[in-house]
Amino acid sequence: MKNMTFRRYIKLIPALLVILFVGVRCSDDLPIDEDGLLITNRGECYVSSFQLLGADFQTVLFPGSGADPNPEIDTVAQTIHVDVNFGTDLKNVYPQFTLVTDAKLDPKITGFVDMSDLANPRQWTVISGNRKVRKTYTVIVNVRQ
Amino acid sequence: MKRRYFDTHLLWMLVCIVLVSSCKEEEYALPTPKSGLQNDVIKRTLGPNVVGLDIEFAYAMAILPDEGKLSSARVEASIPGAAGTRLENNAFYTNGSGADVPVQIGEPGTTEGSVSQVTFNVDTSAATLRYYYIIPEEARGKEVSFKFSATSSNGQTVSYSMGPYKVTNMDIVRLLPVVNNGDCYISIADMAVYDETEAAANADKIDLVYLYRASPAAFAHALVSPAADAEYLPGVTLPAGVNKSTRLRKAWNLQDFHLAQLQFGVYIDEVDFEKLDLSESPNYALGLKAEAGTWVETADGKYRAYIFVNSVNNGGQSAVISIKRLQMF
Repeated sequence: MKNMTFRRYIKLIPALLVILFVGVRCSDDLPIDEDGLLITNRGECYVSSFQLLGADFQTVLFPGSGADPNPEIDTVAQTIHVDVNFGTDLKNVYPQFTLVTDAKLDPKITGFVDMSDLANPRQWTVISGNRKVRKTYTVIVNVRQ
Repeated sequence: MKRRYFDTHLLWMLVCIVLVSSCKEEEYALPTPKSGLQNDVIKRTLGPNVVGLDIEFAYAMAILPDEGKLSSARVEASIPGAAGTRLENNAFYTNGSGADVPVQIGEPGTTEGSVSQVTFNVDTSAATLRYYYIIPEEARGKEVSFKFSATSSNGQTVSYSMGPYKVTNMDIVRLLPVVNNGDCYISIADMAVYDETEAAANADKIDLVYLYRASPAAFAHALVSPAADAEYLPGVTLPAGVNKSTRLRKAWNLQDFHLAQLQFGVYIDEVDFEKLDLSESPNYALGLKAEAGTWVETADGKYRAYIFVNSVNNGGQSAVISIKRLQMF
């Protein structure tokens, strides 16, 4: 009789495991923003790297001198200085931002961007993971000969 | 209680035995060849069918040796092919190195009008012959189809229809050498390259100028519209009347098979030109490298083209280009 009771409880174990799993799974859901992205607790808000591609999806960055041809990103002044090759078609360039974890960019880059108006540099805003910090970066393009 | 558990175990054991026995492999048996003359065709060329290029087929035919031998093979095209259309008098096998080795099976084939044929003069009961249809100008924009047929010594005949295949309205020209300050004037309308004298005589047809400039380094090999800003035409004095503004957009990793003739199975087709929008593109393309390309639209919008750079030579200040073009109206 005791053996029978034990077997009955054994049968309940899978059901208990399912309930436990569902409970754990749903207990710590983060809110989701209007883009379907998780709003996290991170407050960091900066651009970590930047690339500019031409219409052929190849870099248009001027190679520069030395081993560091990367754009100059100033996270304090919130500027990105980019030297591009002579003859770059700046009406059809594709900026690529790398942001700190969980941050997002506004406006979104969905295709080629016109950056040919050098007197009026384009701006993008970085929004932190907790969506509470916003920093607007200005991308300043300089055509090198 | 014990009896019930015993029964359950017995049942599971039976299920396992059934499962194991049902997984036994079936023994392979050689297929039985079909009786009578058989045939089959595959199309070997891919991509759009362009006037001047070929459509290649492999036509296989076979009969059981004790039923007869192959006598003849024939292909009829719905539109007669251009010069060079032929049914080969060789069958091929692939050797250990992967190379196709020909085996002659008859006298050279004949092509009269739309019919190409070969008569076998060797004792064979199976062969695969290649048929090359050179697409004629008359087929431009039309559909072409083919009827393959074979006869055997026992009087049997088989046939196989292929197609229809649409022939594109695109044109191509391959391997045009361009030289800085030499043959550097490119006409999309004529699909040709001119020197300064010829360009002056065809001023209304010149769409682009090829330049090489070592400095700045980003300039290098370039295609520039005659109407581009002077900074993109350094040191160039254009012939009188050469003044068109042709739009260009650089491309990379687009080695069209027809133009590049490399291993890449990529083809630019009419739809690519139809969807092309160069309204916001510049009228110059600098820094072209080997295997790069540029999309092109002529000033009047009549032609859209893709210019592929087959090779560049910095020392010789030259390049070799190929052009694929579609007339839009």
